[in-house]
Amino acid sequence: MKPQSAFEREPARRVFASELRETRYQFRDGDDEKSPTYVILPTGIRSNRIFIVGTLTEKQRQGDQNVFYRGRVVDPTGTFFIMAGSYQPEAMQQLARIEPPAFVAVVGKPNLYTTPDGNCLVSVRVESIAVVDRETRDLWVLDTARETLDRLDAFGTTDDSRKAQEEYGTQPDVYRKIVYDALTQVQL
Amino acid sequence: MNLSEVTERISRKLEAKGAQPDRQKIESRLRRLAEEFGVNIDEAERTVTADLAREHNVTGVGSSSTELRPISEIVPGEWVTIEGKIVALTPPVSPSIAQTGIIADSSGAMRFVAWARGNPPAMEYGHWYRLESAVVDEYRGAPNLKIHSGTTISRMERDAPLLPSITPIAELKPGIGSVRAKVIQDWDVTHDRMLQTGLLGDETGTIKFVIWKEEGKDRLELDTVYNIFYATVDEYNGRLSLALNTAMYIADEGDIEVGRAETEIQGALVHIAPGSGLIKRCPVEGCNRTLSRQNYCPVHEIQPEFRYDLRIKAVLDDGIRARNVLMQREVVEALTGITLDEAVQIAETNPLGMDEIFYRIRNTVLGRYYTCSGSEFGGRLLVNSCTPIAFEPEELAALLNRAGGEPA
Repeated sequence: MKPQSAFEREPARRVFASELRETRYQFRDGDDEKSPTYVILPTGIRSNRIFIVGTLTEKQRQGDQNVFYRGRVVDPTGTFFIMAGSYQPEAMQQLARIEPPAFVAVVGKPNLYTTPDGNCLVSVRVESIAVVDRETRDLWVLDTARETLDRLDAFGTTDDSRKAQEEYGTQPDVYRKIVYDALTQVQL
Repeated sequence: MNLSEVTERISRKLEAKGAQPDRQKIESRLRRLAEEFGVNIDEAERTVTADLAREHNVTGVGSSSTELRPISEIVPGEWVTIEGKIVALTPPVSPSIAQTGIIADSSGAMRFVAWARGNPPAMEYGHWYRLESAVVDEYRGAPNLKIHSGTTISRMERDAPLLPSITPIAELKPGIGSVRAKVIQDWDVTHDRMLQTGLLGDETGTIKFVIWKEEGKDRLELDTVYNIFYATVDEYNGRLSLALNTAMYIADEGDIEVGRAETEIQGALVHIAPGSGLIKRCPVEGCNRTLSRQNYCPVHEIQPEFRYDLRIKAVLDDGIRARNVLMQREVVEALTGITLDEAVQIAETNPLGMDEIFYRIRNTVLGRYYTCSGSEFGGRLLVNSCTPIAFEPEELAALLNRAGGEPA
């Protein structure tokens, strides 16, 4: 085991819904059972935690014995699918209390699913969720725009971005356009 | 540098050892390395010298170990020759060590260890020596000069005045350092052998210092500026401290405006850790530990006369790095608008008790953007002030430009 001081918490990456929706590639860093699982985002960075702020438009309670909640969180570019089950009791109870529509901040882990008919879906397993205000949402759009542009500027120079190029054939201009469109929806 | 010069130098080195090398051979080998293989001249010189030394069966002609080097440029793993003055001698910690201390030249200073097995001549404090073929290794993260049986020690008839170069506290590295600093705090000593401990500061930052009890060592006066020459910089758990036993220190005139090394970070609070909110602390003087729900202190057991406190342990994340932050009562009160008294009242009248305060605080700050400034301590930022980040329209305009479109 690593000494305590060497432990670094994985940062929560900022990503727009339309980029997360395209995410397909997942890998495990190391052979250990407990090695972390990452996804590679199309703009070229590994991530096992993300931070999103948007509008919770819908939530649903599902399951009988294993109760879990699903929700939809909308940002200027699309929709995030979030879920919280009995393995995240705190997150599930927080989500249960929030009545849509509401601005929410969500910290969670991206998860990939393949449906029986072969479609790949990305959902976010919630670690914590809280109601925030519009200003926080706007700050998040700026923050996410900035970090996405930073990743695009470094595209092709890092191992993760070369991997992204290989897996997705990312066209940086497409994502610049997405960032631009997201920013135009922030009201002055 | 041309090749004949290098050839000349190599042959003279070998001749000094009684060999008779062929100059043409040296030059053709150098030319082959330099011109055909693109090796740089220094490396070619080293290679050819080493090759010929082996062919002529002579030893001790390695170029790097006989060339005089300034102490500040030496790195661990090198064989070196230096000339320096003994500026400190410390008692050896083991019978296998003959002498330890600090040797300095005008560029810097370094700790040295002379091993008893090599039977080295004793060096005297305040004199200059030339040390040939000493080895530099690393000891507790700092470079350390080893004097072994193969090292030649010769005393020099020289007494050049040596003025150590002062290092700003923020730029100190493990090893030896000289500072000009003010004593800003005098702490209680924690050990019988300790004479004094406290905090020194200069314009760039602060550092803990220790003086161990030893004959002839004096205490430092609080609020006085000192020139401290050749102190030992130690690293422990990623923090530096200064041991003054090897140092010479003299009070200096003037005052120093001590700079507080404040770190400022921005980001979103992505996690509020358990143990945040309203907590109970052990009332025993000097303890202050957090009590469990059953008022149990890990050291002083059950303490029903606890006192309440407010704090937030959280993670501030900018998307690149996640950092632990710790906010004390004043910061928490300002940030959440809940005072300690109100929090106690709420906890005592609410069915959820202290958890209610945790939830209220979490719901107020989680997922929001803040600027936190404070000092880093043990991998955690001790927050002195925490302010919400406000939306700046100029930031939006700048990002729109960066994203490549015309401003909307």
